[in-house]
Amino acid sequence: MANILVCDDDKEIVDAIEIYLLQEGYQVFKAYDGEQAIKALKENTIHLLIIDVMMPKLDGIHATLKIREYSSIPIIILSAKSEDSDKILGLNIGADDYVTKPFNPLELVARVKSNLRRYTMLGNLNVENNALFQVGGLCINDDTKEVTVDGEAVKLTPIEYNILLLLVKNCGRVFSIDQIYESIWNEEAIGADNTVAVHIRHIREKIEINPKEPRYLKVVWGVGYKIEKQ
Amino acid sequence: MGNKKKSKNSRGLRGFLHFLQHMLIAVAVVAILIVTIGSTVVISGLNGKETYDLHASDQEKQYEESELFNTIYGRCVADIIRFGVVRSQLETDGEFDGKKIIDVTAYNYRDEGLPEQYVTARYYLEDLLKWSKYGAEYTESYMTMEQADEFLGDKTMLTIVDPDSKYYNTSDANYLKSDIGSYTFVDDVSSNMLYTDGNIGEEGYRTILINRYKTAEGKNIEEYTADWSSYDTLCENVLTAMESLSYNYEEYLRYHEYYAADNTNIRYYIEKTVGDHTEYFTNMGDFDFESISEETDDKYLYYSPAEMIYKSNSDIAEGTVRDIVQQYDYAFPEDIKIWIAVDTDYQVSDAFTQGLAGFRNYLPYFWQWIALAIVAAVLYLGIVIYLMVNTGKESDAEGNISIRLSGFDKLPTEIAILIGCIAACIVGGLLVVLAEVYSELLTYEDFYSAWLKLAVGIGVFAIDYIFFFFFYSLVRRIKTKTLWQNSYLKRLVHKISVFALEVYDNGNIVIRTWVPYIIFLLFNLLMVLTGVGIIIAVIVDAFIGIALYHDVKERQNIVKGIEKITEGNFSYQIEQNNLHGDNLVLAKSVNSIGNSIKNAVEVSMKDERMKADLITNVSHDIKTPLTSIINYVDLIKREEVDNERVRNYIKVLDEKSQRLKQLTDDLVEASKISSGNIVLHFEKINLTELMNQTIGEFSEKFEQKNLTTVMNVNASNVMIEADSRRIWRVMENLFNNIYKYALEGTRVYVAIDCIEVEGESQKRVEISIKNISAMELNCNPQELTERFIRGDESRTTEGSGLGLSIAKNLTEAQNGTFEIQLDGDLFKVILTFPILQMK
Repeated sequence: MANILVCDDDKEIVDAIEIYLLQEGYQVFKAYDGEQAIKALKENTIHLLIIDVMMPKLDGIHATLKIREYSSIPIIILSAKSEDSDKILGLNIGADDYVTKPFNPLELVARVKSNLRRYTMLGNLNVENNALFQVGGLCINDDTKEVTVDGEAVKLTPIEYNILLLLVKNCGRVFSIDQIYESIWNEEAIGADNTVAVHIRHIREKIEINPKEPRYLKVVWGVGYKIEKQ
Repeated sequence: MGNKKKSKNSRGLRGFLHFLQHMLIAVAVVAILIVTIGSTVVISGLNGKETYDLHASDQEKQYEESELFNTIYGRCVADIIRFGVVRSQLETDGEFDGKKIIDVTAYNYRDEGLPEQYVTARYYLEDLLKWSKYGAEYTESYMTMEQADEFLGDKTMLTIVDPDSKYYNTSDANYLKSDIGSYTFVDDVSSNMLYTDGNIGEEGYRTILINRYKTAEGKNIEEYTADWSSYDTLCENVLTAMESLSYNYEEYLRYHEYYAADNTNIRYYIEKTVGDHTEYFTNMGDFDFESISEETDDKYLYYSPAEMIYKSNSDIAEGTVRDIVQQYDYAFPEDIKIWIAVDTDYQVSDAFTQGLAGFRNYLPYFWQWIALAIVAAVLYLGIVIYLMVNTGKESDAEGNISIRLSGFDKLPTEIAILIGCIAACIVGGLLVVLAEVYSELLTYEDFYSAWLKLAVGIGVFAIDYIFFFFFYSLVRRIKTKTLWQNSYLKRLVHKISVFALEVYDNGNIVIRTWVPYIIFLLFNLLMVLTGVGIIIAVIVDAFIGIALYHDVKERQNIVKGIEKITEGNFSYQIEQNNLHGDNLVLAKSVNSIGNSIKNAVEVSMKDERMKADLITNVSHDIKTPLTSIINYVDLIKREEVDNERVRNYIKVLDEKSQRLKQLTDDLVEASKISSGNIVLHFEKINLTELMNQTIGEFSEKFEQKNLTTVMNVNASNVMIEADSRRIWRVMENLFNNIYKYALEGTRVYVAIDCIEVEGESQKRVEISIKNISAMELNCNPQELTERFIRGDESRTTEGSGLGLSIAKNLTEAQNGTFEIQLDGDLFKVILTFPILQMK
């Protein structure tokens, strides 16, 4: 199985994460500051890195920058800094994911899985197929009506499937509730209520690791919904 | 080092140029002086000193052939001919004759010829001359007709020209022909006719000429006339003749002296024949015209119009002589012989010898001297311009050019001007004195002397030096702008203005308003009374008007500043540099009020920001241990715990740790919002869409508590301007609140309405959310939105108590209003936003 390096100056957090990852069958390496992390990366074959930001000696941001000079392994930043600007900074310097403390252990494990799958599957799915739609790790095969997220199959109802297909086909475009309603139900949306919103919520719960902070199906509040371009 | 040297060098160069400048002007002036002296001769002639030009063409000639000689000679010729005329009037046989009888009327008519008949009287020449010297006297007397009859003669005696006379009605019939010798005029006219029909006229005041001398016949003037008109005419003639003769007598004396044989190298002999009488005028003994020979060293001319002879070895043309003679044709008959010669041995010192001296001193290299003068003058001007541009310039070590002022330049302007004036007076006075003294003392030999030229050169050098000492100082003052700055006048003006402003600034309201007003009125009154002063008054009033305008304008600026501060621009400062009096006090006060408000706002903003930063930092510190707590609680949960109680304890730990997480997040957000530390990204939001999305999001949570949502959209598709994530946060907090506190199984009403607010042109949209509270609401609605205040003060249930506070602050940050109404168990939240547009 994959080797995962966990780096945080709080030993207890590292230990806890180790427990969760070991349960999932990953091999775990531990580091307690940025320099140790870089050293461990050099000495071992690491497939994914979980790194804290605020650490002694070398902080997570600078460590990530250094690592990105020679490695493209998935990096998940784990930080108590929850501001938008912090997240944007982390993702911009080359991190693949950003998880804020305190985190849900299950969510972290899910993100580790997702990032590893995407990393190992990268470039394997580029089969020429007109019925195949892909956005990041989200993949829809319109022939088989199958939906996968990072390679894992997701079960959707027909209406959910149609809504997701519509949004994925028009990736990046924002659809209002009325527009979705009219194109799925083929009826005029008079007094369209929250039906569509409920469906969207269900889809999110199925395809997103954290439905409150969706990665693919985003809510544009007061405007509509869209699939974010990856 | 190098620059210093260079600077010294340039100063040395300028010093040399100064010297060169003065030298050049001295050279130019001396050259001009030399040219002038060398090309002119000053000769003291009959009428004082006269200047004669020397001509370059004379240089190669003998003196006697030169134009100078001929000019002097020509003048002498004219003098001699004129002298001949005067002599003929005053002399008899070559000697002055005081007893010569003058017919006054005929004398006066000598130029134009005699009228056919005229009144006249005859006097002795010496009587007329003496009378003229003494002066004519008159008396005024009132005369009746009888008295006049008695005073005037019985008859007017008229002299009538005989029509048979050869002088009748010709230009020849003139005085001198009668005057010469015994050929008297009387002979040619008929015997005197006596007129008796003279008109005495009316009685009245008469001007009577006092008879100082009687006529040659021993009579008075009035005895020749019987009427006033002919009396006045005769008096007039007597006076005119007297004055004219007197003038000629003066001239006669001068000519006689000047052209006496001992005083001149001129020799002349004029022979005049009228009728059978021949007269001679000469300054030598007998002369024989036959002896005139061309073989002579002397210069001569001989003119005899009757014989048609003109002989001369000079450059004087016959026409010249004839023109002169014809001017006096009344004196010279056709039968005249004139011989005028110059003794070229020059035994006597006279005009000719002076001319000779000048001629000998005539300048060689005339044009070269002029060229020298021009070149010197041009160089001089060039240097003056160069020095004007560069005077005082000095470059320091960095090469920056500055103007260095000399000690004199630093004197106040007025003192410098005074010194300059004194210097000008001294120099001017010296020049005047020298001119006065030396014009008298200088002999013509002095003009050719070297010392005069040297003196003039030194003088010009000195004057130029003195003038340019002041002139360059002036230039430097202008360059450094100290001409006005460094003057007493400026200091005076400054002091007066400072004093006036001080009085104005420190005075009370009476001094500030009434005193200037009264001065203004008095001034105008005074000026109007003086008449011309109206113009001054108008100008001054215009200035006062402008000053008043400025005053009001200043106040306008202050008012503008107050308005700006009122609008919230606390950093606005009123420009107070040019303000005085009340305006200054006002501006200062307003500025300090603005500053105080600005400081207070800044301090409070800073405090809020520090609080927010503190909370953020603390929350980071809390989050790290909290992460461990949550993780390990979760790990314990995964352990198979048999003990029911322990499982309950773990559940509590789980819930409270989650709540702690929520609390820290909310705390950070609330502090950020209230300190204004958030950035909003406004976009168009469809409210109906937003509400549907929100209800959709909460559908499952509400189902858990059996809550039903009822939405009434009375204004569909209303667009507002808001930050989409922040308005979602508002809705999320409100719906979470409902989820937490609403009574299970009740309905939640959501309504969107369009409302109009009084006093606002823009319509607003109102969103009201109503639900039934599960617990009794025994608190003030306002308190619910205060931080950490919740409906139940026991704080036992979930939530941080910050949800409503955050919602309210975020709503207000997006130009909305947030109101909570409580009516029994009915909990109602009313949001309003300005409508951007309606579909």
